[in-house]
Amino acid sequence: MEIKEFIEKFAEAIEVEDASALTAQTAFHDLEEWSSLSVMLLIAFFDEEFEKEVAEKQIREAVTIQDLYNLVTA
Amino acid sequence: MTSPFSLEGKTIIVTGASSGIGRQCAISCSHMGAKVMCIGRNEQRLQDTLAHLAGDGHAAYSYDLSQTHGIAGLVADIVAAHGKLDGLLCAAGIERTAPIKLLTVQDYAEIMQVNTFSAFELARHATAMKHFNRGGAVVLIASITATIARTGTAAYSASKGALISAARVMAAELAKRQIRVNCISPGTILTPLMQNALAQMSDEDRARRVAGFPLGLGEPADVANAAVYLLSEASRWVTGQNLIVDGGFTIQ
Repeated sequence: MEIKEFIEKFAEAIEVEDASALTAQTAFHDLEEWSSLSVMLLIAFFDEEFEKEVAEKQIREAVTIQDLYNLVTA
Repeated sequence: MTSPFSLEGKTIIVTGASSGIGRQCAISCSHMGAKVMCIGRNEQRLQDTLAHLAGDGHAAYSYDLSQTHGIAGLVADIVAAHGKLDGLLCAAGIERTAPIKLLTVQDYAEIMQVNTFSAFELARHATAMKHFNRGGAVVLIASITATIARTGTAAYSASKGALISAARVMAAELAKRQIRVNCISPGTILTPLMQNALAQMSDEDRARRVAGFPLGLGEPADVANAAVYLLSEASRWVTGQNLIVDGGFTIQ
């Protein structure tokens, strides 16, 4: 999956309405839509889409959307 | 000036649309300008509701909501055919009057399946970002039996109380997308089902039931008008609430 498609799916997963404002460098913890529940949505998204088990800690430590992408495509 | 209560340009799913409160909600929403997606079990009665709607663009979907596994597909079909939604009103419900001594887990489960879990599953899929417009509204029909004790209604009461509790959480989670979630708790409404039930009561029981309502028993339109308010811009700053529409029953 290309990063562009990843960003779109990330936006859908955590319910960001305007995905066009997101880039690989976006610090996702600062998004208005980000909440403590978003971590659970991302874990489910990674599991369904990539069959990867990502820990909460890894998501907390990631800063940009690129970091998340690296987590599941590495 | 456009009325703040207008539903012009909105597409709204109404469940339980083949009879009673749901049917009247579908009719009232259509009169306020909404395109109504009617869901009910009985195809013939749904067509009858459809024939009573004002304006056009409405549709009927015959579906048994106890089949919660198919709700995702049903919502996707409706959105694919009619566009994104602006409202969801859940009025589908069943009742089974019995003292707690006779209510089994099976009874509770069957009632919750229709009254509660189908509404949760509908709310989950209907409010998905790809299905629901920003600023939309969800209305769940609860009951005053969720907050007062009417003997024989333990399962029904629990199923409605769960709606009120979950609606508050849904409201908090969906507020970031300006989506509102509210409940309406009606008192005794003269639906065809209720008229049957009243007819089977003894004269004494019936008189006692009616006497509890300072404004008399309610009409389906009393609930539908409250639903129009909660689905429209008029209630844009109201969310997570349980609006009691009971002719004054619970103030006494």
